[in-house]
Amino acid sequence: MKRISPIQRFKMMNPIIQLFKFFILSIKIMVIVAGGHGGTRKVN
Amino acid sequence: MSKIVVLGAGISGHVAASHLRRKLSKEHEVVVVSPNSNYQWIPSNIWVGIGRMPSKKILFPLAPLYKKKGIDFKQAKAVSFHPEGDQEENKPYVIAEYVAGNNQGTQEKVTYDYLINATGPKLNFEATEGLIPGENGTYSVCTYTHAEHAWKGLNEQIELMKQGQKVKILIGTGHAKATCQGAAFEYILNVEQELRSHKVRDMADITWISNEYKLGDFGMDGMLMSYGSITMKSSEMVEMIFEDRNIKWILGAGVNKIENGLAHYENLDGDLKTEAYDFAMLIPSFSGHGFKAYNINNEDITDKLFKGFMIVDADYTPKPYEEWTVQDWPETYQNPTYKNIFAPGIAFAPPHTISKPRKSKNGTEIFPSPPRTGMPSGITAKLVADNIIDSVKKGKESLHHKGSMGNMGAACIASAGYGLLDGSGISITTFPIIPDYVKYSETHGRHLGKTFGSIGLAGHWLKLALHYAFIYKAKMKPFWWLIPE
Repeated sequence: MKRISPIQRFKMMNPIIQLFKFFILSIKIMVIVAGGHGGTRKVN
Repeated sequence: MSKIVVLGAGISGHVAASHLRRKLSKEHEVVVVSPNSNYQWIPSNIWVGIGRMPSKKILFPLAPLYKKKGIDFKQAKAVSFHPEGDQEENKPYVIAEYVAGNNQGTQEKVTYDYLINATGPKLNFEATEGLIPGENGTYSVCTYTHAEHAWKGLNEQIELMKQGQKVKILIGTGHAKATCQGAAFEYILNVEQELRSHKVRDMADITWISNEYKLGDFGMDGMLMSYGSITMKSSEMVEMIFEDRNIKWILGAGVNKIENGLAHYENLDGDLKTEAYDFAMLIPSFSGHGFKAYNINNEDITDKLFKGFMIVDADYTPKPYEEWTVQDWPETYQNPTYKNIFAPGIAFAPPHTISKPRKSKNGTEIFPSPPRTGMPSGITAKLVADNIIDSVKKGKESLHHKGSMGNMGAACIASAGYGLLDGSGISITTFPIIPDYVKYSETHGRHLGKTFGSIGLAGHWLKLALHYAFIYKAKMKPFWWLIPE
Protein backbone atom coordinates (compact mmCIF):
# COMPACT_ATOMS: atom_id res chain seq x y z
CA MET A 1 0.00 0.00 0.00
CA LYS A 2 1.51 3.33 -1.04
CA ARG A 3 1.26 5.51 2.04
CA ILE A 4 3.71 8.16 0.90
CA SER A 5 2.39 10.34 -1.93
CA PRO A 6 4.52 11.07 -5.03
CA ILE A 7 4.97 14.71 -3.99
CA GLN A 8 6.08 13.69 -0.49
CA ARG A 9 8.46 11.15 -1.98
CA PHE A 10 9.87 13.78 -4.34
CA LYS A 11 10.55 16.07 -1.38
CA MET A 12 12.14 13.21 0.58
CA MET A 13 14.52 12.26 -2.22
CA ASN A 14 15.28 15.56 -3.99
CA PRO A 15 19.00 16.23 -3.34
CA ILE A 16 18.64 20.03 -3.32
CA ILE A 17 15.73 20.07 -0.87
CA GLN A 18 17.47 17.43 1.20
CA LEU A 19 20.73 19.40 1.31
CA PHE A 20 18.89 22.23 3.06
CA LYS A 21 17.22 19.65 5.28
CA PHE A 22 20.62 18.17 6.11
CA PHE A 23 21.88 21.48 7.48
CA ILE A 24 18.66 22.19 9.36
CA LEU A 25 18.60 18.70 10.87
CA SER A 26 22.27 18.92 11.87
CA ILE A 27 21.66 22.16 13.74
CA LYS A 28 18.44 20.95 15.38
CA ILE A 29 20.07 17.71 16.52
CA MET A 30 23.15 19.54 17.78
CA VAL A 31 20.96 21.89 19.84
CA ILE A 32 19.05 18.99 21.42
CA VAL A 33 21.97 16.68 22.04
CA ALA A 34 24.69 19.17 22.91
CA GLY A 35 22.22 21.46 24.64
CA GLY A 36 23.15 20.05 28.01
CA HIS A 37 21.82 17.54 30.47
CA GLY A 38 21.47 17.31 34.19
CA GLY A 39 19.73 15.72 37.12
CA THR A 40 16.04 15.44 37.83
CA ARG A 41 16.05 15.31 41.62
CA LYS A 42 15.60 18.32 43.88
CA VAL A 43 18.72 19.07 45.89
CA ASN A 44 18.28 20.43 49.42
CA MET B 1 48.90 9.88 41.74
CA SER B 2 45.66 8.09 40.88
CA LYS B 3 45.02 4.99 38.87
CA ILE B 4 41.75 4.80 36.96
CA VAL B 5 40.80 1.46 35.46
CA VAL B 6 38.20 1.30 32.69
CA LEU B 7 36.63 -2.08 31.97
CA GLY B 8 35.49 -2.23 28.35
CA ALA B 9 36.50 -0.32 25.23
CA GLY B 10 33.17 0.07 23.50
CA ILE B 11 31.49 3.44 22.99
CA SER B 12 31.19 4.06 26.73
CA GLY B 13 34.58 2.75 27.89
CA HIS B 14 36.50 4.40 25.06
CA VAL B 15 34.82 7.78 25.61
CA ALA B 16 35.64 7.63 29.34
CA ALA B 17 39.27 6.60 28.76
CA SER B 18 39.78 9.29 26.07
CA HIS B 19 38.51 12.13 28.26
CA LEU B 20 40.39 10.89 31.33
CA ARG B 21 43.65 10.79 29.40
CA ARG B 22 43.12 14.20 27.82
CA LYS B 23 42.30 15.99 31.07
CA LEU B 24 44.53 14.24 33.59
CA SER B 25 48.27 14.79 33.69
CA LYS B 26 50.59 11.89 32.92
CA GLU B 27 51.33 11.26 36.61
CA HIS B 28 47.87 9.68 36.76
CA GLU B 29 47.45 6.28 35.22
CA VAL B 30 44.59 5.35 32.87
CA VAL B 31 44.22 1.62 32.22
CA VAL B 32 41.76 0.02 29.81
CA VAL B 33 40.93 -3.66 30.23
CA SER B 34 39.00 -5.10 27.29
CA PRO B 35 38.88 -8.52 25.64
CA ASN B 36 38.41 -6.86 22.24
CA SER B 37 41.48 -5.85 20.24
CA ASN B 38 39.48 -3.48 18.03
CA TYR B 39 37.27 -0.48 18.56
CA GLN B 40 34.11 -0.79 16.48
CA TRP B 41 31.54 1.83 15.59
CA ILE B 42 28.54 -0.41 16.15
CA PRO B 43 25.83 1.78 14.48
CA SER B 44 27.44 1.13 11.08
CA ASN B 45 27.17 -2.66 11.48
CA ILE B 46 23.87 -2.30 9.63
CA TRP B 47 25.74 -1.42 6.45
CA VAL B 48 28.19 -4.31 6.94
CA GLY B 49 25.14 -6.57 7.19
CA ILE B 50 23.91 -5.55 3.73
CA GLY B 51 27.33 -5.70 2.10
CA ARG B 52 27.57 -1.95 1.56
CA MET B 53 30.47 -1.28 3.92
CA PRO B 54 33.48 -3.50 4.66
CA SER B 55 33.99 -4.10 8.37
CA LYS B 56 37.50 -2.58 8.20
CA LYS B 57 35.81 0.80 7.73
CA ILE B 58 34.03 0.60 11.06
CA LEU B 59 36.90 -0.58 13.24
CA PHE B 60 40.52 0.10 14.14
CA PRO B 61 43.00 -1.59 16.49
CA LEU B 62 43.07 -0.15 20.00
CA ALA B 63 46.61 -1.06 21.10
CA PRO B 64 48.56 1.36 18.81
CA LEU B 65 46.23 4.27 19.62
CA TYR B 66 46.38 3.68 23.36
CA LYS B 67 50.17 3.32 23.25
CA LYS B 68 50.46 6.62 21.40
CA LYS B 69 48.13 8.41 23.81
CA GLY B 70 49.64 6.98 27.01
CA ILE B 71 46.77 4.72 27.97
CA ASP B 72 47.77 1.32 29.34
CA PHE B 73 45.85 -1.41 27.48
CA LYS B 74 45.33 -4.96 28.69
CA GLN B 75 43.56 -7.26 26.26
CA ALA B 76 41.84 -9.18 28.99
CA LYS B 77 38.39 -9.89 30.35
CA ALA B 78 37.25 -8.97 33.85
CA VAL B 79 36.60 -12.04 35.98
CA SER B 80 35.76 -10.83 39.50
CA PHE B 81 35.53 -7.64 41.54
CA HIS B 82 37.31 -7.11 44.89
CA PRO B 83 36.36 -3.56 45.94
CA GLU B 84 37.94 -3.90 49.42
CA GLY B 85 41.09 -5.70 48.30
CA ASP B 86 41.94 -8.83 50.26
CA GLN B 87 44.17 -10.02 53.10
CA GLU B 88 47.30 -9.56 50.95
CA GLU B 89 46.34 -6.63 48.72
CA ASN B 90 45.07 -3.54 50.53
CA LYS B 91 43.96 -1.72 47.39
CA PRO B 92 40.71 -2.54 45.59
CA TYR B 93 41.20 -4.59 42.46
CA VAL B 94 39.58 -6.60 39.69
CA ILE B 95 40.89 -9.91 38.48
CA ALA B 96 41.45 -9.80 34.73
CA GLU B 97 42.26 -12.77 32.53
CA TYR B 98 44.30 -12.15 29.39
CA VAL B 99 42.62 -13.42 26.21
CA ALA B 100 45.48 -12.93 23.72
CA GLY B 101 49.26 -12.72 23.46
CA ASN B 102 51.94 -14.45 25.51
CA ASN B 103 49.94 -14.02 28.73
CA GLN B 104 46.78 -15.65 27.35
CA GLY B 105 44.94 -17.49 30.09
CA THR B 106 46.88 -15.92 32.94
CA GLN B 107 45.10 -13.85 35.55
CA GLU B 108 46.23 -10.57 37.08
CA LYS B 109 45.07 -8.42 39.96
CA VAL B 110 44.49 -4.98 38.45
CA THR B 111 44.37 -2.49 41.33
CA TYR B 112 42.61 0.85 41.06
CA ASP B 113 41.69 4.07 42.80
CA TYR B 114 38.66 4.54 40.58
CA LEU B 115 36.92 1.88 38.52
CA ILE B 116 34.66 2.48 35.53
CA ASN B 117 32.64 -0.58 34.60
CA ALA B 118 31.77 -0.07 30.94
CA THR B 119 31.45 -3.71 30.05
CA GLY B 120 28.16 -3.21 28.25
CA PRO B 121 25.81 -6.15 27.82
CA LYS B 122 26.37 -9.82 27.32
CA LEU B 123 24.65 -10.81 24.07
CA ASN B 124 22.51 -13.48 25.67
CA PHE B 125 21.78 -15.70 22.68
CA GLU B 126 21.51 -18.73 25.01
CA ALA B 127 18.29 -17.28 26.49
CA THR B 128 16.50 -18.31 23.27
CA GLU B 129 16.87 -21.97 22.36
CA GLY B 130 18.41 -22.38 18.92
CA LEU B 131 19.18 -18.68 18.44
CA ILE B 132 22.81 -18.92 17.35
CA PRO B 133 24.25 -16.36 14.91
CA GLY B 134 24.98 -18.09 11.61
CA GLU B 135 23.03 -21.24 12.49
CA ASN B 136 19.43 -22.32 11.84
CA GLY B 137 19.15 -19.56 9.24
CA THR B 138 19.36 -16.85 11.92
CA TYR B 139 21.85 -14.01 11.98
CA SER B 140 22.73 -10.99 14.09
CA VAL B 141 24.21 -7.55 13.41
CA CYS B 142 25.32 -6.96 17.00
CA THR B 143 29.04 -7.23 16.15
CA TYR B 144 30.93 -6.71 12.91
CA THR B 145 31.68 -10.43 12.59
CA HIS B 146 27.98 -11.22 13.06
CA ALA B 147 27.13 -8.57 10.46
CA GLU B 148 29.59 -10.09 7.97
CA HIS B 149 27.89 -13.48 8.41
CA ALA B 150 24.49 -11.82 8.02
CA TRP B 151 25.51 -10.33 4.67
CA LYS B 152 26.79 -13.72 3.49
CA GLY B 153 23.47 -15.31 4.44
CA LEU B 154 21.43 -12.53 2.87
CA ASN B 155 23.47 -12.61 -0.33
CA GLU B 156 22.77 -16.34 -0.69
CA GLN B 157 19.07 -15.61 -0.45
CA ILE B 158 19.36 -12.82 -3.05
CA GLU B 159 20.99 -15.31 -5.44
CA LEU B 160 18.15 -17.77 -4.85
CA MET B 161 15.61 -15.02 -5.55
CA LYS B 162 17.40 -14.18 -8.78
CA GLN B 163 16.90 -17.81 -9.77
CA GLY B 164 13.17 -17.40 -9.20
CA GLN B 165 12.78 -18.77 -5.69
CA LYS B 166 10.43 -17.02 -3.26
CA VAL B 167 12.02 -16.23 0.11
CA LYS B 168 10.65 -15.35 3.55
CA ILE B 169 12.64 -12.85 5.59
CA LEU B 170 12.02 -12.34 9.31
CA ILE B 171 13.67 -9.48 11.20
CA GLY B 172 13.13 -8.18 14.74
CA THR B 173 13.66 -9.30 18.32
CA GLY B 174 14.63 -12.85 19.28
CA HIS B 175 13.49 -12.81 22.90
CA ALA B 176 10.43 -11.72 24.89
CA LYS B 177 12.46 -9.05 26.71
CA ALA B 178 15.00 -8.05 24.07
CA THR B 179 15.87 -4.41 23.49
CA CYS B 180 17.64 -2.51 20.68
CA GLN B 181 14.61 -2.61 18.37
CA GLY B 182 16.17 0.36 16.57
CA ALA B 183 18.96 -1.77 15.11
CA ALA B 184 16.49 -4.35 13.81
CA PHE B 185 14.31 -1.53 12.45
CA GLU B 186 17.26 -0.13 10.52
CA TYR B 187 18.22 -3.55 9.23
CA ILE B 188 14.76 -4.46 7.94
CA LEU B 189 14.53 -1.20 5.97
CA ASN B 190 18.05 -1.59 4.57
CA VAL B 191 17.37 -5.19 3.56
CA GLU B 192 14.14 -4.11 1.87
CA GLN B 193 15.96 -1.41 -0.11
CA GLU B 194 18.77 -3.82 -1.06
CA LEU B 195 16.25 -6.28 -2.45
CA ARG B 196 14.79 -3.48 -4.55
CA SER B 197 18.23 -2.49 -5.82
CA HIS B 198 18.87 -6.15 -6.78
CA LYS B 199 15.42 -6.15 -8.47
CA VAL B 200 14.18 -9.10 -6.43
CA ARG B 201 11.85 -7.30 -4.00
CA ASP B 202 8.77 -9.03 -5.42
CA MET B 203 10.33 -12.41 -4.63
CA ALA B 204 10.56 -11.69 -0.89
CA ASP B 205 8.01 -11.71 1.87
CA ILE B 206 9.39 -9.46 4.63
CA THR B 207 8.03 -9.60 8.19
CA TRP B 208 8.85 -7.62 11.32
CA ILE B 209 8.53 -9.59 14.57
CA SER B 210 8.85 -7.75 17.86
CA ASN B 211 8.09 -7.85 21.57
CA GLU B 212 6.73 -4.29 21.29
CA TYR B 213 3.03 -3.77 22.01
CA LYS B 214 2.85 -1.15 19.28
CA LEU B 215 5.08 -0.32 16.32
CA GLY B 216 7.59 2.43 17.08
CA ASP B 217 7.78 1.66 20.80
CA PHE B 218 11.57 1.14 20.58
CA GLY B 219 11.66 0.25 24.28
CA MET B 220 10.90 3.90 25.09
CA ASP B 221 7.11 3.64 25.36
CA GLY B 222 6.82 5.20 21.90
CA MET B 223 6.89 8.91 21.26
CA LEU B 224 4.59 11.71 20.38
CA MET B 225 6.60 13.75 17.92
CA SER B 226 6.56 16.68 15.56
CA TYR B 227 6.58 15.52 11.96
CA GLY B 228 6.70 18.45 9.58
CA SER B 229 3.80 20.67 10.54
CA ILE B 230 1.82 17.93 12.26
CA THR B 231 2.07 15.96 15.50
CA MET B 232 2.30 12.23 15.04
CA LYS B 233 2.80 9.12 17.19
CA SER B 234 5.93 7.08 16.47
CA SER B 235 3.62 4.08 15.96
CA GLU B 236 1.85 5.95 13.15
CA MET B 237 5.14 6.92 11.51
CA VAL B 238 6.53 3.37 11.56
CA GLU B 239 3.20 1.96 10.36
CA MET B 240 3.28 4.41 7.44
CA ILE B 241 6.81 3.34 6.51
CA PHE B 242 6.12 -0.40 6.83
CA GLU B 243 2.92 -0.20 4.80
CA ASP B 244 4.63 1.91 2.16
CA ARG B 245 7.39 -0.69 1.86
CA ASN B 246 5.04 -3.68 2.03
CA ILE B 247 6.51 -5.01 5.27
CA LYS B 248 4.19 -7.10 7.45
CA TRP B 249 4.42 -7.10 11.23
CA ILE B 250 3.83 -9.34 14.24
CA LEU B 251 3.71 -7.54 17.60
CA GLY B 252 3.70 -8.63 21.24
CA ALA B 253 5.74 -11.67 20.24
CA GLY B 254 8.13 -13.35 22.64
CA VAL B 255 10.34 -15.57 20.50
CA ASN B 256 11.30 -18.55 22.66
CA LYS B 257 12.72 -21.19 20.31
CA ILE B 258 14.40 -21.34 16.93
CA GLU B 259 14.54 -24.39 14.71
CA ASN B 260 16.01 -24.36 11.23
CA GLY B 261 13.63 -22.07 9.36
CA LEU B 262 11.06 -21.85 12.16
CA ALA B 263 10.68 -19.18 14.85
CA HIS B 264 8.44 -20.25 17.72
CA TYR B 265 6.87 -17.49 19.75
CA GLU B 266 4.19 -16.72 22.29
CA ASN B 267 1.96 -13.70 21.89
CA LEU B 268 0.18 -11.60 24.51
CA ASP B 269 -3.01 -13.65 24.05
CA GLY B 270 -1.00 -16.64 25.25
CA ASP B 271 -1.14 -18.33 21.84
CA LEU B 272 1.90 -20.38 20.88
CA LYS B 273 2.67 -19.73 17.23
CA THR B 274 5.33 -20.44 14.64
CA GLU B 275 6.65 -18.24 11.83
CA ALA B 276 8.56 -19.84 8.98
CA TYR B 277 11.54 -18.05 7.41
CA ASP B 278 14.45 -18.55 5.05
CA PHE B 279 16.57 -15.73 6.50
CA ALA B 280 16.17 -14.21 9.95
CA MET B 281 18.00 -11.46 11.82
CA LEU B 282 16.85 -11.48 15.42
CA ILE B 283 18.29 -9.34 18.21
CA PRO B 284 19.03 -11.43 21.33
CA SER B 285 18.26 -10.40 24.88
CA PHE B 286 20.97 -8.47 26.72
CA SER B 287 22.10 -9.51 30.18
CA GLY B 288 24.81 -8.73 32.69
CA HIS B 289 28.05 -10.68 32.45
CA GLY B 290 27.49 -12.65 35.64
CA PHE B 291 30.46 -11.10 37.46
CA LYS B 292 31.07 -12.06 41.07
CA ALA B 293 32.28 -9.68 43.80
CA TYR B 294 34.09 -10.47 47.05
CA ASN B 295 34.93 -8.50 50.19
CA ILE B 296 38.24 -8.35 52.06
CA ASN B 297 37.50 -11.73 53.70
CA ASN B 298 36.71 -13.30 50.33
CA GLU B 299 32.98 -13.48 51.14
CA ASP B 300 30.52 -13.10 48.28
CA ILE B 301 29.14 -9.54 48.08
CA THR B 302 27.85 -9.73 44.51
CA ASP B 303 24.46 -8.35 45.58
CA LYS B 304 26.12 -5.07 46.71
CA LEU B 305 27.48 -4.48 43.23
CA PHE B 306 25.19 -6.24 40.82
CA LYS B 307 21.55 -6.69 40.10
CA GLY B 308 22.13 -8.39 36.76
CA PHE B 309 23.88 -5.21 35.64
CA MET B 310 25.74 -2.92 38.08
CA ILE B 311 23.87 -1.16 40.89
CA VAL B 312 24.19 2.63 40.72
CA ASP B 313 22.45 5.68 42.22
CA ALA B 314 18.99 4.70 40.98
CA ASP B 315 15.90 4.01 43.07
CA TYR B 316 15.42 0.25 42.76
CA THR B 317 12.45 0.06 45.16
CA PRO B 318 9.92 -2.29 43.58
CA LYS B 319 6.67 -0.43 42.88
CA PRO B 320 3.77 -0.53 40.41
CA TYR B 321 4.30 0.87 36.92
CA GLU B 322 1.98 3.81 37.62
CA GLU B 323 4.24 4.95 40.50
CA TRP B 324 7.50 4.94 38.55
CA THR B 325 8.97 8.39 38.09
CA VAL B 326 11.76 9.90 36.10
CA GLN B 327 13.54 10.63 39.40
CA ASP B 328 14.13 6.88 39.85
CA TRP B 329 16.79 7.02 37.13
CA PRO B 330 20.47 7.48 38.05
CA GLU B 331 22.31 10.79 37.74
CA THR B 332 25.96 10.03 38.50
CA TYR B 333 26.17 6.25 37.83
CA GLN B 334 28.06 5.78 41.10
CA ASN B 335 27.71 2.56 43.08
CA PRO B 336 26.13 3.49 46.43
CA THR B 337 28.28 1.06 48.46
CA TYR B 338 31.66 1.57 46.82
CA LYS B 339 31.86 5.22 45.87
CA ASN B 340 34.90 4.81 43.62
CA ILE B 341 33.04 2.49 41.23
CA PHE B 342 30.91 3.82 38.39
CA ALA B 343 28.90 2.14 35.62
CA PRO B 344 27.92 4.28 32.62
CA GLY B 345 26.34 3.12 29.36
CA ILE B 346 24.60 -0.23 29.21
CA ALA B 347 26.52 -1.56 32.23
CA PHE B 348 24.23 0.01 34.85
CA ALA B 349 21.10 -1.73 36.10
CA PRO B 350 18.04 0.28 35.04
CA PRO B 351 15.53 0.87 37.86
CA HIS B 352 12.63 -0.24 35.70
CA THR B 353 11.52 -0.57 32.12
CA ILE B 354 10.38 2.43 30.11
CA SER B 355 7.80 0.58 28.05
CA LYS B 356 4.76 -0.59 29.99
CA PRO B 357 5.40 -4.13 31.26
CA ARG B 358 2.95 -6.67 29.85
CA LYS B 359 2.34 -10.36 30.49
CA SER B 360 0.79 -12.94 28.23
CA LYS B 361 -2.22 -14.89 29.43
CA ASN B 362 0.26 -17.62 30.41
CA GLY B 363 2.19 -15.17 32.62
CA THR B 364 5.14 -14.70 30.26
CA GLU B 365 6.57 -11.18 30.39
CA ILE B 366 6.65 -9.79 26.84
CA PHE B 367 7.91 -6.22 26.54
CA PRO B 368 11.12 -4.44 25.51
CA SER B 369 13.87 -3.79 28.02
CA PRO B 370 15.06 -0.17 28.22
CA PRO B 371 17.66 0.84 25.63
CA ARG B 372 20.83 2.63 26.82
CA THR B 373 22.90 2.33 23.68
CA GLY B 374 24.64 4.93 21.53
CA MET B 375 24.31 8.53 22.53
CA PRO B 376 23.38 8.04 26.22
CA SER B 377 26.30 5.60 26.54
CA GLY B 378 28.72 8.28 25.40
CA ILE B 379 27.16 11.09 27.44
CA THR B 380 27.04 9.10 30.69
CA ALA B 381 30.64 7.91 30.18
CA LYS B 382 31.85 11.49 29.74
CA LEU B 383 30.10 12.75 32.86
CA VAL B 384 31.50 9.86 34.90
CA ALA B 385 34.99 10.69 33.59
CA ASP B 386 34.47 14.39 34.40
CA ASN B 387 33.43 13.59 37.98
CA ILE B 388 36.49 11.37 38.47
CA ILE B 389 38.76 14.04 36.97
CA ASP B 390 37.31 16.65 39.38
CA SER B 391 37.66 14.27 42.32
CA VAL B 392 41.29 13.52 41.44
CA LYS B 393 42.17 17.19 41.02
CA LYS B 394 40.36 18.34 44.18
CA GLY B 395 41.47 15.40 46.27
CA LYS B 396 37.91 14.79 47.48
CA GLU B 397 34.74 13.35 46.00
CA SER B 398 33.09 15.64 43.45
CA LEU B 399 29.82 14.72 41.74
CA HIS B 400 29.10 18.03 40.11
CA HIS B 401 28.38 16.49 36.69
CA LYS B 402 24.97 14.89 36.45
CA GLY B 403 23.08 13.38 33.59
CA SER B 404 19.84 11.56 34.14
CA MET B 405 18.33 9.99 31.05
CA GLY B 406 15.21 11.79 32.25
CA ASN B 407 16.93 15.10 31.52
CA MET B 408 18.91 14.18 28.44
CA GLY B 409 18.13 14.30 24.74
CA ALA B 410 19.08 11.67 22.20
CA ALA B 411 19.09 11.42 18.44
CA CYS B 412 18.50 8.19 16.60
CA ILE B 413 19.47 8.47 12.96
CA ALA B 414 18.09 5.23 11.58
CA SER B 415 19.34 4.20 8.19
CA ALA B 416 16.48 3.22 5.91
CA GLY B 417 18.57 2.40 2.84
CA TYR B 418 22.11 2.97 1.62
CA GLY B 419 23.00 5.16 -1.36
CA LEU B 420 24.39 8.63 -1.92
CA LEU B 421 21.40 9.71 -3.99
CA ASP B 422 18.87 6.95 -3.42
CA GLY B 423 19.54 6.29 0.26
CA SER B 424 17.18 7.22 3.03
CA GLY B 425 17.24 7.77 6.75
CA ILE B 426 14.74 8.31 9.52
CA SER B 427 15.97 10.97 11.89
CA ILE B 428 14.32 10.88 15.29
CA THR B 429 15.22 12.99 18.28
CA THR B 430 13.70 12.58 21.69
CA PHE B 431 13.83 14.72 24.80
CA PRO B 432 13.96 13.41 27.41
CA ILE B 433 14.88 9.78 26.76
CA ILE B 434 12.95 8.65 29.83
CA PRO B 435 9.49 10.20 29.51
CA ASP B 436 8.67 12.71 32.23
CA TYR B 437 4.91 12.34 32.52
CA VAL B 438 4.70 15.07 35.19
CA LYS B 439 6.67 17.79 33.40
CA TYR B 440 5.29 16.97 29.95
CA SER B 441 1.93 15.58 30.96
CA GLU B 442 0.11 16.66 27.79
CA THR B 443 2.65 15.31 25.29
CA HIS B 444 3.26 11.73 26.43
CA GLY B 445 6.20 12.70 28.64
CA ARG B 446 8.28 14.46 26.02
CA HIS B 447 9.06 18.00 24.88
CA LEU B 448 7.33 18.27 21.49
CA GLY B 449 9.70 20.87 20.07
CA LYS B 450 12.68 18.64 20.83
CA THR B 451 11.04 15.35 19.84
CA PHE B 452 10.65 15.14 16.12
CA GLY B 453 10.86 12.78 13.20
CA SER B 454 11.99 13.31 9.63
CA ILE B 455 12.30 10.92 6.69
CA GLY B 456 14.46 11.37 3.63
CA LEU B 457 17.82 11.36 1.89
CA ALA B 458 19.21 13.91 4.37
CA GLY B 459 18.88 11.27 7.10
CA HIS B 460 21.20 8.96 5.18
CA TRP B 461 23.77 11.72 4.70
CA LEU B 462 23.50 12.52 8.39
CA LYS B 463 24.13 8.92 9.42
CA LEU B 464 27.10 8.77 7.04
CA ALA B 465 28.46 12.08 8.41
CA LEU B 466 28.10 10.77 11.97
CA HIS B 467 29.93 7.58 10.99
CA TYR B 468 32.99 9.53 9.81
CA ALA B 469 32.80 12.08 12.63
CA PHE B 470 32.65 9.46 15.38
CA ILE B 471 35.41 7.32 13.87
CA TYR B 472 37.53 10.52 13.73
CA LYS B 473 36.66 11.26 17.35
CA ALA B 474 37.36 7.70 18.49
CA LYS B 475 40.78 7.83 16.81
CA MET B 476 41.48 10.89 18.97
CA LYS B 477 42.59 12.98 16.03
CA PRO B 478 43.19 16.74 16.45
CA PHE B 479 40.36 18.54 18.27
CA TRP B 480 38.39 15.30 18.61
CA TRP B 481 36.87 16.52 21.86
CA LEU B 482 34.97 19.27 20.05
CA ILE B 483 32.64 16.63 18.62
CA PRO B 484 29.91 16.06 21.22
CA GLU B 485 29.02 12.58 22.42
